[in-house]
Amino acid sequence: MCTALIEVTLWMAVFAAAKTELIGGFPKESYLAYAIWAAFMARISVSWMYEFRMIEEIDSGSINHLLVRPFTFFEYYLSQMMGYKLVTTLFSLIVPFAVSTAFDLPTDATKLPIVLLLVFYYLILVHILSLIVASIAFHLNRVHSMTVAKNLGLWLLSGELVPLDLIPSPYKETLLALPFCNAVYIPVGYITGRLGIEQVYAGFASITWSILIFGALSVVMWRWGIRKYVGTGA
Amino acid sequence: MKKYLRLYSAFFKASLIADLEYRANFLTRIATDIFWYLAQIVTFETIYRHTNLIGGWTVEQMRVFLGVLFVVDAFYMILFHDNLDRMSERVRKGELDLLLAKPVNSQFMLSCQRLGTAMIGNLLIGTSWLVWSLSQLPDFQVLNLFWLLVLIPSGLLVVYSCRFIFSSTAVIFTRSENLMYLWFQLYKLGMRPDSIYVPWLRILLLTILPMAFIVSIPARSLLFVPDYALFAWAIFWSLGLLYVSHLFWKFALKFYSSASS
Repeated sequence: MCTALIEVTLWMAVFAAAKTELIGGFPKESYLAYAIWAAFMARISVSWMYEFRMIEEIDSGSINHLLVRPFTFFEYYLSQMMGYKLVTTLFSLIVPFAVSTAFDLPTDATKLPIVLLLVFYYLILVHILSLIVASIAFHLNRVHSMTVAKNLGLWLLSGELVPLDLIPSPYKETLLALPFCNAVYIPVGYITGRLGIEQVYAGFASITWSILIFGALSVVMWRWGIRKYVGTGA
Repeated sequence: MKKYLRLYSAFFKASLIADLEYRANFLTRIATDIFWYLAQIVTFETIYRHTNLIGGWTVEQMRVFLGVLFVVDAFYMILFHDNLDRMSERVRKGELDLLLAKPVNSQFMLSCQRLGTAMIGNLLIGTSWLVWSLSQLPDFQVLNLFWLLVLIPSGLLVVYSCRFIFSSTAVIFTRSENLMYLWFQLYKLGMRPDSIYVPWLRILLLTILPMAFIVSIPARSLLFVPDYALFAWAIFWSLGLLYVSHLFWKFALKFYSSASS
């Protein structure tokens, strides 16, 4: 909530000095709604805890008890993460929704189901990236900082900091072509009225091709790591 | 004092050796902070394409603010971050027993034993950005840089003391991860100029929760007419907070009942 408060005060200060009703074609309320929902979406669409745990399992060798079970390491942590995210989403959704309603900020609640579907679909991609980073732990010690670097990179590309449509060309087009804007910019833009449904459909498409590409890479990385692993911790 | 300096020098050497042993980790940590710097720069450069002022600060002044932020953050990461970040884990694993038995101040040992030497690269990057941003100011007074000699340490003391108090709660509650999240949220308040906040929040950030001391006050010393009373208050209160952190540590230790407390 503090993140949202900081971003809200920032946008209020921007509009107070800008001497204009609109920035990038949108009023102040649109940016305040964006700040509040962006903080919420950004929390959902990131995986810190489970990626750290995956790395820890490989580092310590405790992965052995998972390797002998009748499901994959990927499935085990995907189910845990999705369950956790589902519960936290349902509970924390109340906060941005209540704030938007109380301050009459532009938010279309009927768009929430498809937006949450998009974010949860994006989480599959996030988890594949987690598996890629965790697979590196088979070869190197101390890869936790890679998680931090990767998540900061994704955060930068997600649109939490500023709506991506404010960024000048050609950077804007590049960022929108990547799948990572589906973490924050596309879902928040859609529920706050900046974007249409076609961008959401394009988001589903971009996540799909990314899952295929990164999924293939994760399989290669995982097999390479498992071949090297001797069962006593990396 | 000599003993502590010798100890600190030994900590530095040991940390450097340990960091260089894991070279991929060493480089990734530098890359991580570069992403973080980029995020801050992109945010403000993008917003300034649509306005000339934010909270009364021009884009050139905001670049200086970011420079100070990068430098303070790099110092904090080098000196304290690794130690305070794993304090909760050390308490849980019972490592605190060993530290408390040593003939040195336990707060010093817990806070300074490990240095993030990889972050020295980030300090260079942050300092370069600060120097560049200052060179863009048409009326910058070089003598104002001397203020940084006291105001950056004062900001660091605030970050250290507040974070240490939060980390010390691990001794009382054993697990304090959620309180750490609260700390990060508070720290974020200091990562924006104090003038963007509403009056009541600004007063709070200059008094009880002095997050404005971390970057805003040092940046103001470079950019605006010096406010001696404010600077004196920042120095006094940061030293006061250090003392408060010491008192809190002694208080927290009363709850410690050895390993896995």
